[in-house]
Amino acid sequence: MACALRLSQLIDAHNAKNPSAQLTKENIYLLEKSRETGQHCLSGALLDPRSMRELLPDFEKEAPLDAEVVKEAVYFLTKKSKFKFPITPPPMRDHGNYVISINKFVKWMGQKVEAAGITIFNGFAGSELLIENDRVVGVRTDDKGVDKHGEKKSNFEPGYDLKAKCVILAEGTRGSLTKQLVARFNLDKDRNPQTYGVGVKELWEVPSGRIAKGEVIYTMGWPLTTQEYGGAWIYGSKDNIVSLGFVTGLDYHDPRIDPQHILQEFKRHPFTAKLLEGGKMVRYGAKTMPYGGWYAVPPLGGDGWMIIGDSAGFVNSQRLKGIHLAIKSGMLAAETAFEAMTKNDFSRVQLETYQSRVENSWIKEELWKVRNFHQGFENGFFEGMIHTALQQITFGRGLHERYHGVAGHTRQTKLESLSPSGDDRAGIIGPARGDGKLTFDKLTDVYHSGTKHEEDQPSHLVVHDLNICSTRCTVEFGNPCQNFCPASVYEMEDSADVPGGKQLRINASNCVHCKTCDIEDPYQVITWVPPEGGGGPNYDGM
Amino acid sequence: MKQVPQKDAPLKLNESATWIRDDVSYEVNEPDAYALEEALRQKEKHGGEVVVITAGPARAQTVLREGLAKGADRAIHLEDNGFVGLDAFNTAKAFAAAIKDEQFDLIFTGLQSDDYGYAQTGVILAQILGWPHATIIMHIDKTDAGIKVKRELEAGFFQNVDMPLPAVLTIQSGINKLRYATLIGIKQAKNKPLRKVTMDEVKSSLGDNMQKIEKLYIPQKTKKTEMLEGPPAEVAKKLVEKLKNEVRVL
Repeated sequence: MACALRLSQLIDAHNAKNPSAQLTKENIYLLEKSRETGQHCLSGALLDPRSMRELLPDFEKEAPLDAEVVKEAVYFLTKKSKFKFPITPPPMRDHGNYVISINKFVKWMGQKVEAAGITIFNGFAGSELLIENDRVVGVRTDDKGVDKHGEKKSNFEPGYDLKAKCVILAEGTRGSLTKQLVARFNLDKDRNPQTYGVGVKELWEVPSGRIAKGEVIYTMGWPLTTQEYGGAWIYGSKDNIVSLGFVTGLDYHDPRIDPQHILQEFKRHPFTAKLLEGGKMVRYGAKTMPYGGWYAVPPLGGDGWMIIGDSAGFVNSQRLKGIHLAIKSGMLAAETAFEAMTKNDFSRVQLETYQSRVENSWIKEELWKVRNFHQGFENGFFEGMIHTALQQITFGRGLHERYHGVAGHTRQTKLESLSPSGDDRAGIIGPARGDGKLTFDKLTDVYHSGTKHEEDQPSHLVVHDLNICSTRCTVEFGNPCQNFCPASVYEMEDSADVPGGKQLRINASNCVHCKTCDIEDPYQVITWVPPEGGGGPNYDGM
Repeated sequence: MKQVPQKDAPLKLNESATWIRDDVSYEVNEPDAYALEEALRQKEKHGGEVVVITAGPARAQTVLREGLAKGADRAIHLEDNGFVGLDAFNTAKAFAAAIKDEQFDLIFTGLQSDDYGYAQTGVILAQILGWPHATIIMHIDKTDAGIKVKRELEAGFFQNVDMPLPAVLTIQSGINKLRYATLIGIKQAKNKPLRKVTMDEVKSSLGDNMQKIEKLYIPQKTKKTEMLEGPPAEVAKKLVEKLKNEVRVL
């Protein structure tokens, strides 16, 4: 949205100055897979206003900002107690930032974009990149009205081939088209593998007085052990709404770990339980976020394409923020596209200037300082803290210039080497049961995500080798898809047809589009493709 | 076509507990989507023009845009926050006033709305216009004298009715299969005519609401689980008894 808005501003300014050389917005289109703009957007969320002030200097007067951050604290949790950090570490100081609902914020941005004269096609997913002679020449949208056997229904509507001089990928985390692009042009060459975390979030309405409007709390430690990466956020919003969630690094060892269960366990801590007591959970959702940092960012522009936002990996993993970077990257891509329009030059050379714009902007400055942050935690929390301290005094360098990383899914350990009880992890492995008040089982949570798909359509979770599921995976990892998916999409059900006695059932209609399965599957046989446009969660107020 | 809160939207009551707060997602009232689809199909068969009409605040324009994107030719928007609080009688009066200069042959409405669920607006509109109406329509055929419609009755029975035109039909969900809006349709919808009607223009036709919501509340959950114990044969017996005498489904 920021990209479209910036482009529109530049075109308006140009047209005002050049009456004889007008540029049109007629052919700028935005494809959005959700039925309504913002419906698939989920974040904490805290907004660092830096880029918004550049985009719309007066935005604070009209944007839906729920609260200004007034108070913050960081805690280290043990099972029964909490220890407050005596000072809030600088990256977690949030004064001047805003607590927002990214859903409402994006909806508002969408209205601006439409008012500016750019068409948003809601309910249309990009299902394929059109590539000719190594140049991206457009996007194919999804077919509509296909039944679950792949046959056309009476209301079948084929996808369109939208030809474009320039395609800007802003698909969010683990973009499905971005994945195609990266694979096709080896964009991950010489990069660190992207690593991710999955944030599982609940929105609560609590009795008044429990938390201040604009109060921000971060926790580390329990219920994770020192071997897992992650932590929780609790934000006080307006109208006694509390946003809370837990981000679990998708580079854990124990394949039985269940991120939705982690959030439930976290809520049972006396500190959280007290905060939520007598309250009501109103919304649920989950989304992955790219943690890999600067060294995992792919090349940003090429022949006919640019990548922005989470799709490019613009997240500051230390500050747990990416919205401001996504907006800024969108603006820089818009400036590049605008220049390309005026020169009518959409070549690699022109679109690669987006790369240098990013490198000369405060995006690079901000990400460079934390380029090795997440990698520092690969061997656990304590070593991570030492690396962080070293990086802090060496402007992000730490022990060596570039910390390498490994793809998180490769770190899962086989069941044979794990204790059956889970030991310290007993409270976060396997499915959460839930008491129906403070804690919930997965299906109850998923119900609160408002997720809806056309039922009669092909599964949009494509498993390339179902054999592995009932044979190797059952034995080696115990089918972790049942655990890492926060929406109960994957289920091993009894079957007499397969040797192992259990086969995979995919409840695709439950999918909240978080992309965890595409990332965390140990054999990398799951591909997330967009379902029929319009389907997905409804993250009202998230 | 009415804009209603999305079925799975988390609803909150407004301060006076007479309706919900409006910060939720909205969608096209499902029965109205079927009514539009039926109108488009009739147009495709017999020619003519499809006009979509709604009453509601600015946000309700979305349903008109959706209608235009699917193939309607033009739209009428009775735009005012005040239209939300009207009862079915007043809503019908407002529509009648807004279309007094139009020459329609058929008015399609959904059978009922997913929010208030009165199932009255279409029927009363017919009364005001002095037109015949038929409800729960499952099929429409054109005849020499007008139309023949199939109504859904209870227990699998249907009724076929011959009607003259003009007429009002309230359409049952599932009568047809909804189409998708196309990219081209969405693009073209932007340039289709949309007439706005203000509250002032129709005010003189409205009266006091004859129906009013006194109080709205969210029901307490009273789910109760009872475990039947004993040997299977005994449990089955108990279960049958319960289903017969307490739940009364057998």
